[in-house]
Amino acid sequence: MSVAKIELENVSYVYSKGTPYEVTALDNVSACIKEGSITGIIGHTGSGKSTFVQLLNGLEHAQEGRVLLDGKDIWEKPKEIGKIRFRVGLVMQYPEYQLFEETIRQDIAFGPKNMGLDKEEIEKRVLMAADFVGLERELLDKSPFDLSGGQKRRAAIAGVIAMKPEVLVLDEPAAGLDPLGRDAIFTSLVNYRNETGATVIIVSHSMEDMARFCEELIVLSHAKIVMQGTCSEIFAKADFLSEIGLDVPQITGCMKLLSQKGLSVGDGIYTVEDAVRELSRRLSSL
Amino acid sequence: MKNISFGQYYPAESLIHRLDARAKVILALLYIVCSFLCKNIISFAALALSAVVLVLLSNIPLKAVFRAIRPILFVMLFTVVLNVFWTKGESPLFSWGILTVYPEGLYNALFMLVRILSLIIGTSIFMTYTTTPIELADAIEQLLAPLKKIKIPVHEFSMMMTVALRFIPTLIEETEKITAAQKARGADFSSGGLIKRAKALIPILVPLVISAFRRADELATAMECRCYRGGDGRTKLHVLHYDAKDFLMMAVVVVFGVLLIGLNMLAIGYTM
Repeated sequence: MSVAKIELENVSYVYSKGTPYEVTALDNVSACIKEGSITGIIGHTGSGKSTFVQLLNGLEHAQEGRVLLDGKDIWEKPKEIGKIRFRVGLVMQYPEYQLFEETIRQDIAFGPKNMGLDKEEIEKRVLMAADFVGLERELLDKSPFDLSGGQKRRAAIAGVIAMKPEVLVLDEPAAGLDPLGRDAIFTSLVNYRNETGATVIIVSHSMEDMARFCEELIVLSHAKIVMQGTCSEIFAKADFLSEIGLDVPQITGCMKLLSQKGLSVGDGIYTVEDAVRELSRRLSSL
Repeated sequence: MKNISFGQYYPAESLIHRLDARAKVILALLYIVCSFLCKNIISFAALALSAVVLVLLSNIPLKAVFRAIRPILFVMLFTVVLNVFWTKGESPLFSWGILTVYPEGLYNALFMLVRILSLIIGTSIFMTYTTTPIELADAIEQLLAPLKKIKIPVHEFSMMMTVALRFIPTLIEETEKITAAQKARGADFSSGGLIKRAKALIPILVPLVISAFRRADELATAMECRCYRGGDGRTKLHVLHYDAKDFLMMAVVVVFGVLLIGLNMLAIGYTM
């Protein structure tokens, strides 16, 4: 099960190298993302998260180090980097601003069309992707302008899912959405993983979302990976997280307070559902 | 493209950076007049010297100054060639086929070269290099203020200029983001013929234009929320004020102009 899908080997990336504006975005970073996992990337603003995800599909080329996909350097044949981008689908921040076609259907078809698929296959993939993100069929022939913000976001994500990427990378997929919209998007990502076995990588600021939907976490701080492990391993180190400007999920802090006040609840509670279960267990045993 | 600061403003500490922006606009105009006053080799030498003094005064590295000159290298070359071969004089220096070169042509070419160079150096040192675009827009608004009397909306023009300048870096960033996003979906911008490449730009241009309109709309709403209602009775956050060094500098340039006229009187060598 735990085969590495994507590996980073001593990767460094510096913006505007050799000018007075030089900024180190990633400094000698090594990481391993397991095949079929849902991996979260967390870190405060400017810690290198966005650069990290753009390296994965070759939008940026690391000055040092290698990015391996299935054990092969993605830049082995620089001319074929386009093929890598179909295998590693990237949804950037606020993807709804990139819709450009007259109808949602055509926009979702943009990726598959660039892959050179035939008409039938493209149509199949558009419907498949729309279903994954929960976009009603009757919306497909509307203009992107007629959709709500949440629907546009889902359409944009569908545009990447339609390429059936083996690795789906999303930069802040739920930023600015209401709680229902967030849940809908994360659930569709979990479904995509469960049904296709793809690897999903999510960048987010919300520890709650990370705790609920991710299995593995990578913590970035000041251009370096400072922690990597399962959710419980990471969130157990609340003090270290707050040191680098991050937090544990609110409910975890809440449960910690309860146990400090003398109510013995178990450790390792990261979601509201777990907390409800734990508290009702405690109540029934009283 | 990420870190290109817009315009050529070069942050440094110098006498010229500290001058009032309006004074700098006036100085740039005076300096242009000066460069057209020159007529003989001595006045042109004085002009070249003054350009060197300006660069030294402004604390701007030579490398940055050359960056301003590079785009007009072709124009300079063209001017030199034109002047060398097309100026007619009395005794030819040498002739080669249909091309005849007179000493007057060489002088003219040299003079034009010095004039163009000092024009570019003067205006860029006084305006673009040492004044931020926003300051410049402000200065132009205040210098043109008298035109309000004849109902020209000076403030509105200046506000449009400021807003346009403000959004250039934003739009560059936006273009980069959209390009990256479409590349991630396999868009190919670098292969195929002209028509194919032009078509490939649609996925970038459409979202870019839409987002420009969206931003304009948001900005207008934000301005209205803060009760913006044009220039009448509006005060400035950064009030420009002249002081002694501004007047001194303008006086120096005027005196320099008079000096150039004086130097033109000296009958030395070729006069343009």
